[in-house]
Amino acid sequence: METYTLVNIFETKGLEYLLLLCFLGLLLLLVNYLKGAGGRR
Amino acid sequence: MSERPALLPELRRFGRFLLSELRPRGPLVTPFNLISLPVILAGAVILAVRFTRGLGAVTNLTQEVPWGLWIGFDVVTGVAFAGGAYVLTFAVYVMRMEKYRPIVRATILNGLLAYVFYAGALAFDLGRPWNIINPIIGNEFGFSSVLFLVSWHFLLYMLAEFIEFSPAVAEWLGWKRVRRVLHACTLTAVILGITLSTLHQSGLGALYLMAKPKIHPLWYSEFIPILFLVSSIYAGLSMIILEGTISHRVFGDQIDERRHASFDEIVVGLARGAAIALFTYYFFKALVFLHEKHWQLLGGGWGAWYLLEVIGLTLVPCVLYAYGARHRRLGVIRAAAVMALAGILLNRLNVTIIAFNWDAPVRYYPTWMEVVVTLMVVFAEIWVFRWVVTRMAVLRPPHELPNAGRSRPLRPAAAA
Repeated sequence: METYTLVNIFETKGLEYLLLLCFLGLLLLLVNYLKGAGGRR
Repeated sequence: MSERPALLPELRRFGRFLLSELRPRGPLVTPFNLISLPVILAGAVILAVRFTRGLGAVTNLTQEVPWGLWIGFDVVTGVAFAGGAYVLTFAVYVMRMEKYRPIVRATILNGLLAYVFYAGALAFDLGRPWNIINPIIGNEFGFSSVLFLVSWHFLLYMLAEFIEFSPAVAEWLGWKRVRRVLHACTLTAVILGITLSTLHQSGLGALYLMAKPKIHPLWYSEFIPILFLVSSIYAGLSMIILEGTISHRVFGDQIDERRHASFDEIVVGLARGAAIALFTYYFFKALVFLHEKHWQLLGGGWGAWYLLEVIGLTLVPCVLYAYGARHRRLGVIRAAAVMALAGILLNRLNVTIIAFNWDAPVRYYPTWMEVVVTLMVVFAEIWVFRWVVTRMAVLRPPHELPNAGRSRPLRPAAAA
């Protein structure tokens, strides 16, 4: 029978979720960084 | 009752007009002409050999490698580069971002010609090219085939793009009533075009889903369709930046000072969009990489090749785009566009050629004749693009056309 542990970050796809959270956070930062371009004329 | 012109004189006038427009404008002996003309002529000869003696006479294609450079570069890469048309028409016609309107016609023309030439190159690679019509007329409706979807989409998208561009053709001919009708159809064509584009950009990736055992695991993923779709967005934006920069230099006499000045602002806006699209694509690549647990594959030469594509030609241009847009550095943005396009080219060639049959004892390399035909397709597209831009209102406003002030415009009824 296949074993499954909640503490394994690979089996739980935890790494993908962490990456997604990082992406959303970094995307907000990127958009804010790019928005600043308008005020630098 | 208004006086209607006689049919025969109008036809003669129309014929004379077309003949006069076929005459070359500008100097014939230019560096570009001197390079491109021999290549086009050589490519035409090679194509004549290909269609009389078969694919084996000019290509290195085999039963094991039936798709080579003509599919990998002309069709798969060329269609990604043409993605700018659906992105920009969405921005201008649907989102009403009027800032980008001055470049919309050049982008649509570029997209239309890319599809006509690059997707048209599909016919070169068919062992029985006369069967290309089968998916359309129903001899072989392959409802479960991705190629069936792609062939129909290419056809319909070319029609949609022609309708989007057709007001410029009507202005060139001086057909004011026809122009009004065609202009009214534009939004419908744009919506149809965007729908078709999103489906067949991903469809081109879906073509390779069946080749799982043949593609190196670093490039194969069940998410190839999504990766192809997202990457086509920044590929298109990068191509608009590059093509627009070259057009503004080559056809500078057609563009007034105000449009020249606004182009810099347009480039900065496109760079912002490209940075976000590149970042999203990079995230998808990282997600696929983690999902497939591919870190053990990074050790060898294939790993270095993969990192060159994903870090060097995806993440680096993303950072350059963001920096260039933020600090309004046009040189940095153009460098990012070139790098992003090189990254797309490398990605598509990796999936279709380089990492395809990567462990086969005998690898595929294109012959010099395949390379010449590919260059011929690119140069021929540029020739037609130049012909259209110098005659129609693509970069210049319509009222500057010679036909705009005609007291008797060329009538469609007479020409038909």
